[in-house]
Amino acid sequence: MPSLIASKLLDAIPTLWLVLTLVFVALRILPGDPALVALGDFATPEQLALFREQAGLDAPLWQQYFAFLWDVVTFDFGNSLITKESVAGVIGYNLPFTVALAIGATAIGVIIGVPFGVLAAVRKNKAPDQGMRVFSLVGYAIPDFYLGAVLLIVFALNLKLFPINGGGEGFWGQLYHLALPAITLAVLKIAFLGRLTRTALLEVLSKDYVRTAKAKGAPPKTVIYKHALRNALLPIVTGLGLSLLATLSGAVAVELVFNRPGLGSTLIKAIAERDYTLIQGAVVVFALMVVVVNLLVDVLYTIIDPRLGS
Amino acid sequence: MNITRRNLLATSAAGIVVASLPAGASVAFAQKANDTITFAVAARSSNSLNPQEVGLSGADNWAVYQIFDRLVNLPAGQWAKEPQDYLPGLAESWTVSEDARTWTYKLRKGVKFHKEYGELTSDDVVFSFRRHIDPKTVTNSKTFYTNIDSVEAPDAATVVFMLKSPDPLFNTSCHSHVSASILCKKAFEEKGADFSKDPIGSGAYQFESLDSSQGMLLTAFPQYFDGPANTEKVRIRYISDTTARTLAFASGDIDMIEGVRSPGWMDTMRGQSSETIFDATAPGSLNSLAINLTRGPLKDVRVRKAIRYAIDATAIAGAFGGIAAPMIGVVASQFPGAVRAEDLPEDLRYAYDPEKATALLAEAGFAGGLTIPCYVSQREDYASIMLMIQEQLRAVNINLDLKMIDHATFHSDNRLDKNTLALWSSSYSPVPTQIISDQLARSFEVKSDGTGGTNFAHYGTAIPGIDDMLNTTLAEPDFDKRMALVQGMEKQILADLPLLGIVTLSYVVARNPRVDIGFKVESGPAYWPLRHAKIVQA
Repeated sequence: MPSLIASKLLDAIPTLWLVLTLVFVALRILPGDPALVALGDFATPEQLALFREQAGLDAPLWQQYFAFLWDVVTFDFGNSLITKESVAGVIGYNLPFTVALAIGATAIGVIIGVPFGVLAAVRKNKAPDQGMRVFSLVGYAIPDFYLGAVLLIVFALNLKLFPINGGGEGFWGQLYHLALPAITLAVLKIAFLGRLTRTALLEVLSKDYVRTAKAKGAPPKTVIYKHALRNALLPIVTGLGLSLLATLSGAVAVELVFNRPGLGSTLIKAIAERDYTLIQGAVVVFALMVVVVNLLVDVLYTIIDPRLGS
Repeated sequence: MNITRRNLLATSAAGIVVASLPAGASVAFAQKANDTITFAVAARSSNSLNPQEVGLSGADNWAVYQIFDRLVNLPAGQWAKEPQDYLPGLAESWTVSEDARTWTYKLRKGVKFHKEYGELTSDDVVFSFRRHIDPKTVTNSKTFYTNIDSVEAPDAATVVFMLKSPDPLFNTSCHSHVSASILCKKAFEEKGADFSKDPIGSGAYQFESLDSSQGMLLTAFPQYFDGPANTEKVRIRYISDTTARTLAFASGDIDMIEGVRSPGWMDTMRGQSSETIFDATAPGSLNSLAINLTRGPLKDVRVRKAIRYAIDATAIAGAFGGIAAPMIGVVASQFPGAVRAEDLPEDLRYAYDPEKATALLAEAGFAGGLTIPCYVSQREDYASIMLMIQEQLRAVNINLDLKMIDHATFHSDNRLDKNTLALWSSSYSPVPTQIISDQLARSFEVKSDGTGGTNFAHYGTAIPGIDDMLNTTLAEPDFDKRMALVQGMEKQILADLPLLGIVTLSYVVARNPRVDIGFKVESGPAYWPLRHAKIVQA
């Protein structure tokens, strides 16, 4: 296992370097001037030049690039061009909110979606299966920012069961504020994981060893959960990893609608303001999260199917 | 025009959500504590609380305005349109020399800074303004201070400003802006960069705390020179999303929210509850259309006149539900120096007349119509106005090949002289020469290498003359005579049409009736004092 982890981490280095380089180049190609954003519409050319000089934006691109790479290696992302706050501090504050949202939504997705998919597979073409299809269609079709707004109106504004916005204070306060945004994102996950589980399980249920287990008189629950589901887990885990990554980077709309702190909405603001240092720092963190999640998926593969680790 | 699926869905969702409120929820004016007013601004977070910091957002201005004081005060809820309208602030009195170049301020005695940072002296004032006039110090809104030659403190209670050229409106052009707030020199030097997050001013509210989840907490400063604020605490929440902000207001969690300056929002909000109070400034922002005088058919004044005649500014203003007003010249009608329609000759009034527009186009050789490429910001106020202009011009066979781009790109591309018809929303205090100087003077002409300014029309170069008029105006020390000269410039601009005033658009705050802010908002900047505000319903 340690050698697997080391190997995967080594593999990730060129990927990270490529991502960092692409981000650096994309930001410099992107139209829009951080100096103009910071100084306002009426800034004179002299003020703009002074700002760029003080922010190091007038240095040759290769110098800026190597300085950026060095900052990443030393985990020193500098200060925001706009707010002058430490980028590490901004990320450190917002990241836990995004991670909590992604994990919360994924947990709900797994807890409801996987059993739902199992039920749909076992009762193929029956009511649960039909229900699964309809729910999947709806889940895929509703944009999360719209669903979030509707849930806010019903459960927060009218029924007053949940807070209207914010991230909450303390563990229980944060959990309370997490519930509705996590449910919003979980709807798509339930649809996705439910369908994935159904498809994977149906394929396994038609295998010879399942027929053998049934013929030997194994109870239906044992056949489904011990023999079939375990063998159907590989594609589900792959889907789970992809789903988690999509949430980490795609929770922006929900963060905005629920006015939650988070890395996604921080990144959107940074892009709008052309805050290069903050964008670079946030993208590095996203890239690292991709590496970590992929690593976890690989580790899970070897636990589910030990042959893959050998 | 690029309308993305996401934009379309987001706009539709916000509209549907707001529109669906009557069925599910009326605005809840909930029972709440009486010591806190909660105000949600349209921002994700605070950028800085240093009034001179670059990147200060409109949301930050609200907090800064409460924490810091300025030498002079505006009448509550209004602009000071004439020099005598100003009220004492940190300065208890002031005098101006006959040539309007020397302004002397006598400071109020016993003004305390927050958190035991001592008393205000002329050193603090000199320190604050010298940072603005020092070319090596990056501060925001530096252009407001370029006319200051020097600032001196002959004694601890006197400050003297020497100007490079006369300015009878110096209190407006310099001291009415939030960046003219007086810093505490001792605290600034002691805290360094941390001053932005832990500011020390002398205002009615002092800074307590800030976090992304709960927002900013301000508490009344008990030693405020004019007596403590009416309400003990003000909490500023940061809610950038329109839907989230509107829902928070509807739930009663928030007492005041920054409004949305797009068509339909006001009408919909009024439909939710007749109790909601709307505080709106007039004029607010000035939305003008700069016509690039160096581009093809737009060089012909007949084409520019056709565009002017084809735009129905009254209809555009009407779409905003009472927060917009049509413009006549380029100076807002509420400002001194503005021309009134009845004072203009018939040919400069440009009453909406599409037939005349069509005839002018035919006369200019464009009977078959013409296509004008241009782009506009995606921001809702820009996009709404420009889309309406596009539709109105289409009626006279002028096709705007309009692209929508993000706001930062829009501004940076404008500064590279890429636009042909540049709609621009700008905010000014009532100094009528500022908009003419910024947007029409040759010294501010845009350049394709980005080293120019904000005269996107190339006026003054493509059509010379305005700079001489402007220089004459800026040399005039007498207020009334200066305003007469401004009106002369306005008429010349209306004859040449390099810049079309379209509509003014108010800044709007929706307010729960449980809060009384203590005055009526009529004009003024996009932020106002909250020290008079009190909770009148539990």
